[in-house]
Amino acid sequence: MSEKKFMYTVSPHLHEKGQTIERAMRDVLIALVPAAIMAIIIFGFNVVYILLVSCIVAALSELIMRPIMGRKQTLRDGSAMVTAILFAFLLPPSTPLWVVAIGAFLAVAVAKELFGGLGKNIFNPALFGRVALMISPLAIYTTKFLRPFFYKATGFFTPIQTVINNNVSGRVVYEGIGGKLYVNAVSSATPLSLLKSGRMLATSVTGPTPVGATWITPTGRPSFWSTLLGFKSGSIGEVCILALILGGCYLIWRRTIDWRIPVGIIGAFLVIMLITWNHPLYQLLGGGIWLGAFYMATDWTTSPMTRRGKWIYAIGIGVFIALIRLVSPLPEGVAISILIWNVCTLVIDRYVAEPKFGEVKKPWFNKLPVFPKPKPVMAEPKPVEQKA
Amino acid sequence: MIPLNQQIGAPNSPLVSPGDKVTVGQKIGETDAFVSAPVHSSVAGTVKAVEDIPNFTGAKVKSVVITVDPQQPAFEAKPGKPLAELDANEIKKIAKEAGLVGMGGAAFPTHVKLSPPKDKPVDVVIINACECEPFLTCDHRLMLERPGDLVEGLKLLIRGVGADRGVIGIEANKMDAIEKVRAIVSKEPNIEVEILEVKYPEGSEKQLISAVTGRKVPPGKLPAEVGCLVQNVGTAIAMFEAASMGKPLYERVLTVTGHGIKNPKNFKALVGTPISVLIEAAGGFTGDATKLIMGGPMTGFAQEEATCNVVKGTSGILSLAPDLVDVREEHSCVRCTKCVEACPMYLMPNFIVDAVAKEEWEKAELWGALDCFECGCCSFTCPAYIPHVEYVRQAKARIAALKKR
Repeated sequence: MSEKKFMYTVSPHLHEKGQTIERAMRDVLIALVPAAIMAIIIFGFNVVYILLVSCIVAALSELIMRPIMGRKQTLRDGSAMVTAILFAFLLPPSTPLWVVAIGAFLAVAVAKELFGGLGKNIFNPALFGRVALMISPLAIYTTKFLRPFFYKATGFFTPIQTVINNNVSGRVVYEGIGGKLYVNAVSSATPLSLLKSGRMLATSVTGPTPVGATWITPTGRPSFWSTLLGFKSGSIGEVCILALILGGCYLIWRRTIDWRIPVGIIGAFLVIMLITWNHPLYQLLGGGIWLGAFYMATDWTTSPMTRRGKWIYAIGIGVFIALIRLVSPLPEGVAISILIWNVCTLVIDRYVAEPKFGEVKKPWFNKLPVFPKPKPVMAEPKPVEQKA
Repeated sequence: MIPLNQQIGAPNSPLVSPGDKVTVGQKIGETDAFVSAPVHSSVAGTVKAVEDIPNFTGAKVKSVVITVDPQQPAFEAKPGKPLAELDANEIKKIAKEAGLVGMGGAAFPTHVKLSPPKDKPVDVVIINACECEPFLTCDHRLMLERPGDLVEGLKLLIRGVGADRGVIGIEANKMDAIEKVRAIVSKEPNIEVEILEVKYPEGSEKQLISAVTGRKVPPGKLPAEVGCLVQNVGTAIAMFEAASMGKPLYERVLTVTGHGIKNPKNFKALVGTPISVLIEAAGGFTGDATKLIMGGPMTGFAQEEATCNVVKGTSGILSLAPDLVDVREEHSCVRCTKCVEACPMYLMPNFIVDAVAKEEWEKAELWGALDCFECGCCSFTCPAYIPHVEYVRQAKARIAALKKR
């Protein structure tokens, strides 16, 4: 009998093959590839510059922040890359690269690392970065959109970005290489902002086509296929819905994300749009709801853990998006809705009860069990000495 | 060396002292408590010592050390009444006297299971033929070799608990066993074979009941709550042996396997056999054996050295080679929900871990620490390599202490 010592660990002694954080992050990156390719096709090589800057800044932010926060480097898990690419996907394709850099830093350094790193953050980092830019003085750079295939006018590889130039009416223009300005030839409103401003509805067969919205058919609506394939204005990653659905299905198949969340969001959103009859299909294909539902709201860390909680969260997001689009002055509401429900996740996970195996009826609210109070330790009364 | 406490329940006191001669099948440890089972000697020999010896979990247990006689007389069968004439009370008594316990691993005394509360009559006896864990094949082997004894044992269990019918639940990957057992069961009107999905933990009591009958045992309750009794293949056969030959439970079939073992095999081993003997008999370790486990890969206990002995609940001895050993540093939870999806009890494993880390024991109970049967699915699938089961064990111990005070 050998005297060999064996490794001691607690049970279980097996681990599911390849079930690691790295694999999950790799899955998300793979799932985003089709949407990235479509974005390059629609908005030109400009997209690549933005993705690159976002990734580099995100990686550097993590490299610097981890030691400052007293933690080990975890760049290899790939979560910074996922954040960087998702963040870039939320930006208009003409966002200046220095604005991209600021946003990526906010996303990774502030929203993720300052909150404690992967697993501890409250807000979805990518959305946090995007909304931080949106409510900052830099908002002007992130709210102007390019029309699809604008590069026919500027050249495929030409970097093009939003600049402010006081000599031009409206002040916001697009600058190509060597300071060449494009005023209106490349810009366009997004489908939802058209809808919000009422121009889309006003447009009829006879009416004027909204500026730059060449993808709108003479009936006054964008064709179903152009919105599905992404031939419309919008953020880099949100336009090609077909690619997003493809990647989302891959993630569900790989069990990297939970199907309940996209189903809940899209379902609740669609129900409200159908009830109020607000162009359900147009609403669904017009904005960023697919990017949000499949890739943002499903973020592991910032979504609830319980099954019931996930439904509440998902339906909540769907309802909020619908309400923001219908009653607020904003054209889009995906980012803000998800961030609001990110915060609610804390409450949901604490108070929503989860039925255990064999529990048929379970109340929805958690009630903490009460343990018996420790018996007070009292000094034993001394027996009175009996006098004889 | 035979530990005196091999069952869940009250500890046994020794019935022998150093110098005593013992025979095969002689009772050497017993207690008056109801939830317990006596222990019998598996060999003939002389008692060398009665002392506290660490068992396979590392806990010290009062054990009887026996010097084995070179001459081992065969066990003398003591045939009792014909099986068909035994009534329920006699069957329970036989189970208790023979020291029968659940042989899947948990070692819960059989006669206790046979005595459900009066208001919770049991109507179905289920034989767990799922092989509780991957790698183990001892139940499969038993079904192939002794299907008749299994069915006889099941009939005794049905009568013992007063049930109407019996079901033998076999996983679909054991078609040869299914056919063998079916051939015998076809003559029994009230026994059937149920083919089950191949998955872990199908052999867990509550999951098995749900798969076979569709009944769900509520949290914190025993199977009798839904009229079921679950027994392992090995236990049913031991029941048959005890009733037909008066043979107490002093040997069992177990699997010695894993990539770290040269010739994996099933053995019929005496209780008290040093596991090193069995490993040698299976060809010894391969050069790259890195882990040694008593039990199965999901719930077994890792051993640092091959020094412990077989007990009634030892279903296997497993040695893993590096290809299956995946030990990494624990990452903080990323809230991916994989443990929640994996949990067969629908608990919240990572919330329990969090509660234990913060010592919030009420929360640990709220999220189901007490309902966990430590199958290990959560840790198996955890991308952050969190050992949930270890946290749950801590929680169970602390909550029990808090409730007692």
